[in-house]
Amino acid sequence: MSSRIEQKAAARRRREALEAAERRAARRRRSLIQLALVTVAALSVVATAIYLSRPGDEPKAAVTTSFAGIPQDGIALGSPDAPVTLVEFADLQCPYCAVYATEVLPTIVDRYVRPGKLRLELNVLTFLGDDSVRAGRVAAAAAQQDGLWSFSDAFFHNQGTENSGYATDDFLRETAERAGLDADAVLAERDGEAAAGLLGDAQAQADKLGVDSTPSFFLRGADGELEPLEVSDLTPETFTAALDEAL
Amino acid sequence: MRALRIATAALALAGVAVAGYLTWVHYAELQPFCVGGGQACERVQSSEYAELAGIPVAVLGLAGYLAILATLALPDALGRPAAAFLALAGAAFSAYLTYVEIAEIHAICQWCVASAVIMTALAAVSVARLLDVGLDRQDRLHTRAR
Repeated sequence: MSSRIEQKAAARRRREALEAAERRAARRRRSLIQLALVTVAALSVVATAIYLSRPGDEPKAAVTTSFAGIPQDGIALGSPDAPVTLVEFADLQCPYCAVYATEVLPTIVDRYVRPGKLRLELNVLTFLGDDSVRAGRVAAAAAQQDGLWSFSDAFFHNQGTENSGYATDDFLRETAERAGLDADAVLAERDGEAAAGLLGDAQAQADKLGVDSTPSFFLRGADGELEPLEVSDLTPETFTAALDEAL
Repeated sequence: MRALRIATAALALAGVAVAGYLTWVHYAELQPFCVGGGQACERVQSSEYAELAGIPVAVLGLAGYLAILATLALPDALGRPAAAFLALAGAAFSAYLTYVEIAEIHAICQWCVASAVIMTALAAVSVARLLDVGLDRQDRLHTRAR
């Protein structure tokens, strides 16, 4: 009798264990299906969002919005009524020029240019090598479209290894597109007289001022005279201190 | 499971703090504090990638963390898959943004990295909750008790 009860109990335990294992397996299957569905849904949503928002879908978008709403005119950025102009000499291949453009310029633009206190001028030099010449010509053509600052900003953000031959037509076209310019027109105009004249003027002014390194900076006040702006390093703090004193 | 719920809440709150700070900085037009100086955070925050369909990414992040926090108030059957969906989407988008920082913007924003780490951890915890990690053991104990 006792043995029979024990057999029944053992059978019940086996059945319960089997049922529990089945419940676990079913729950695990359900969870895995849920995870698969959730993962696919999440990745689909993100992929769609990325696809729709990629800058490549908006060829007119500039690489940054730093200059949005600020007038560009030839080599100048900012209000023509600004009392002081910061004149810069830069080579697009120069790494320190890129440091200035990416780490210091945003602060200068927000603090001085946007409120109309300062105007910027960029004189493009091409002394570092062939890539400088190729890039400089396109930059000068961009200035004809009043897009030099957008072009140089896009260039500096994607600057390659010096004289590695990276300033190809494809690279320059892509840079012009990132800057929101008409890339075909810019590339077509790069060998024109206007572009060559702009680069020639920049070099002549650099020679006259004795510019022997880039980036070099000068301030032009109401009297039209250019005074060197001496800065010890390329940080926003150094520039704001020097500009606060000068303005 | 209680430990995973607590971990989800703690991580989501940390995410709210990070994304909330970046949202505040965005609308107050301030420069984000970057450990070690530099303008990397500002460059990332002012880049064209800082917005998605016109909405600042920081705001999307804040909304995501708050939504994950809110899933804890839902019944488990709905709350767990919802949290996993949000956290996985957040982690995938964070991975994309990290790629963009390295490959396109050439600057790393420490706040974005912090958010990416938090969101990845949230994804791991949320998946563990969805898969009922720990329940097998409870089930075995339950069966044994009977």
